[in-house]
Amino acid sequence: MAGLVPPGTTTIPADASKAAHTKAEEKTDYMNLPCPIPFEELHREALMSLKPETFEGLRFDFTKGLNQKFSLSHSVFMGPTELPSQSAETIKIPTAHYEFGANFIDPNLMLIGRMLTDGRLNARVKWDLTDNLSVKANAQLTNEPHMSHGMVNFDYKGKDYRSQLQIGNGSLFGASYIQSVTPHLSLAGEIFWTGQHLKSGIGYAARYETDKMVAAGQVASTGMVALSYVQKVSEKVSLASDFMYNYMIGDVTASVGYDYILRQCRLRGKIDSNGCTAAYLEERLNMGLNFILSAEIDHKKKDYKFGFGLTVG
Amino acid sequence: MASRVSLKSRGKEGKGSKGSDEKSTAQCLKEWSTWTMKKAKVITHYGFIPLVIIIGMNSDPKPQLYQFLSPV
Repeated sequence: MAGLVPPGTTTIPADASKAAHTKAEEKTDYMNLPCPIPFEELHREALMSLKPETFEGLRFDFTKGLNQKFSLSHSVFMGPTELPSQSAETIKIPTAHYEFGANFIDPNLMLIGRMLTDGRLNARVKWDLTDNLSVKANAQLTNEPHMSHGMVNFDYKGKDYRSQLQIGNGSLFGASYIQSVTPHLSLAGEIFWTGQHLKSGIGYAARYETDKMVAAGQVASTGMVALSYVQKVSEKVSLASDFMYNYMIGDVTASVGYDYILRQCRLRGKIDSNGCTAAYLEERLNMGLNFILSAEIDHKKKDYKFGFGLTVG
Repeated sequence: MASRVSLKSRGKEGKGSKGSDEKSTAQCLKEWSTWTMKKAKVITHYGFIPLVIIIGMNSDPKPQLYQFLSPV
């Protein structure tokens, strides 16, 4: 979690007592604050621990690198997929698909494309025009009419701030701005407007981080309040908790989770106030060979999802 | 004035017909931009992965075709 150490503080010298003394004496230089993290990564540490990518069924991913920058990926998935349903019960249909992907990763340009057997394309482009300005585009294209989505982001990174402009299809516009106010605290605001549903909203966020913990809070006019707290207990263990409340709908969810990063494996688990527990294990069997186990048990809806997979390369 | 107004409204009702030459610039722009987005979507859908592959196969060090085709 090297990202938690604010780069504004001095480097730690070998003598520990001298380091504590130096840190206590250091006066905050408000002209040299560190650059904050991007707005969409506000809850990054909490999401990493509490929302692992659980899946149901078999997953096999094979990535073949052709050179440093270019690689191809082949991915097979077989398992039930949940359909969005209005009633309380979950409807699942068994699906199987093969996905072909091509990735080109350069310091300035990143192109990732994934094509599924049913004709869907996921494309991601990130282009760094200059040191400070970058353009990102994201698209999910399907053969069905009116089911395709695309979004373009323009990011500008300043000395101690970041700003972003988002344009999406269906006339979706959004802008966000995050500013460091002290070496540990950063404040952010965002606005968005959708043309299709004629909704607009404004939101505010704050993030306080130190070496050992990260606390973040976000409020939006759509009624969402999200708070998260992550504590790094040791080099290998971190604990996270999350609270999400929608004051328009009156929906509350709280969750607590852990993240163990050990030498050969990474184990993440969480338990929810909706009666849902999840666990995700990534075990490194050999160099480049990873075994994945995923489990998600929803006691309230009686929905049990277990998945296993292998990742090569 | 009244005749002009009525001409414009008739033009708008006859939007579907090809013979109408009272199309406003906003409508032209909207139709043109919808046509461009549709074409761009088809081009991206079929051409994005070949584009990535072409850029990748021409990057340094240049990979060989057998490396691209073999499963190992």
